[in-house]
Amino acid sequence: MKRFIAATLLAATSLVATMAHADSLADIKKAGTIRVAIDLGAPPYGQLDEAGKPAGSDVEAANELAKDLGVKLEIVPVSGPNRVPFLLTNKADVVMASFSITDERKKVIDYSDPYGVVPTVVGAPKSQALPDFASLAGKTIAVTRGTTSDQALTKGAKEVGGVNIVRYEDDATTNTAVATGQQDLIAAAASVVAQVNRANPSRDLEIKFVMSSAPYAIGIRKNEAELKAWLDQWIKSKIASGELNTIYKKHFGIELPAEYRGK
Amino acid sequence: MGSSVTIAHYILMLQGMLWTIGLSLMGFVGGTIVGLPIAIGRISQSKALRRSLGLYIALIQGIPLPILMFLCYFGISVAGFNVPALVAAGMAMTAYASAYLAEIWRGSLQSVPKAQWEAAECLALTRLQRMVHVILPQAVKISIPPTIGFLVQIVKNTSYAVVIGFAELTYTARLINNSTFKPFVVFTVAAVLYFAICFPLSHFSRRLERKLKRA
Repeated sequence: MKRFIAATLLAATSLVATMAHADSLADIKKAGTIRVAIDLGAPPYGQLDEAGKPAGSDVEAANELAKDLGVKLEIVPVSGPNRVPFLLTNKADVVMASFSITDERKKVIDYSDPYGVVPTVVGAPKSQALPDFASLAGKTIAVTRGTTSDQALTKGAKEVGGVNIVRYEDDATTNTAVATGQQDLIAAAASVVAQVNRANPSRDLEIKFVMSSAPYAIGIRKNEAELKAWLDQWIKSKIASGELNTIYKKHFGIELPAEYRGK
Repeated sequence: MGSSVTIAHYILMLQGMLWTIGLSLMGFVGGTIVGLPIAIGRISQSKALRRSLGLYIALIQGIPLPILMFLCYFGISVAGFNVPALVAAGMAMTAYASAYLAEIWRGSLQSVPKAQWEAAECLALTRLQRMVHVILPQAVKISIPPTIGFLVQIVKNTSYAVVIGFAELTYTARLINNSTFKPFVVFTVAAVLYFAICFPLSHFSRRLERKLKRA
């Protein structure tokens, strides 16, 4: 059935992708609202705070974006797998959902310049020694399907062989599987490892090695030159002013790589 | 970072529960409006009508509900209409429920003993009169348990609306779990809320059955 869903989505998206699109930037200004697709189930990028309101680094960045554009922010909640369809079917103007840049996605959508990075890592309990991909041979490891972690892991594991990859549908399920002890090893963004530890401190996970460091950007529909130009300029100024780094530090506890830090 | 489940989160889940109930109602009411004529059409004398309705049922029953949701939500957008998630989910639930309810009711209609049809015919009732006064009242009695049983299925299957980001109970519970990392608390509450919807339904079904048996 998963394949069925994927096929349906692909059919739907490729149909839309062929339609040339109008000037979104003008549309957004006319509407007075920018619809930003954010994954509210992916802390610390997007989540619900204690009052049940959207929060997280992508939410804060989107707020800044709307403010600087002089329009209201409307958050469109999405999940990892349906980010692209939401964008392509015009249910959102832009996607800011820890949206890593991949070649597959680039075939159907465009990206702004990157505004942050997702380091993907392998995490495991402290008792296990796993210095690199080779040490994963014969082990079972959990990952969320279709994420950049999945890609990095699949690529790395292919060279090793004998790695049993268990793919879950979303981050929450992956994390719960590891937090409850169904799985010991996890391939995910660095921030996830800390979260699993918070959920169940007795797991005592640590980051074993970094698989890849994936820049993420604002996703837009194809043929949106005006919007892309505006967004690229906006990101440039926010990097220069250090605001993006401030937001990142607040939510991740670590700084962005040097090229994103501004002066 | 929110690490405990707050009152606001519980309120959000209650709101999600209302959407679940709303979506279930849309599915059941829509399914009845579309499904009842199909059930009756399925026992009509026209072979072409029976065949084409049978095809509709086979088609809908052969497509998983999440795919129906995808098709209604993204598919219709491709055609140039912007449908809200609620409408798309309601359409998918209607199509889904109508196909199953039609079959349940066709079975109920056909399990009314043939002698009843013949007796009604001997009384010189028209086909419509036979249906309304003789067959339907008896078929209703037969259909209550499977219908309510399916209604409980509808309630639980609304959780597939999660795939189009519709904020029903399962979706809300997932979001809160992702933010708080308290799966046992969050999903137990969700389970209790689902049970709170479904149990009264089953209970009501049993009472109605007893009442109709006596009548």
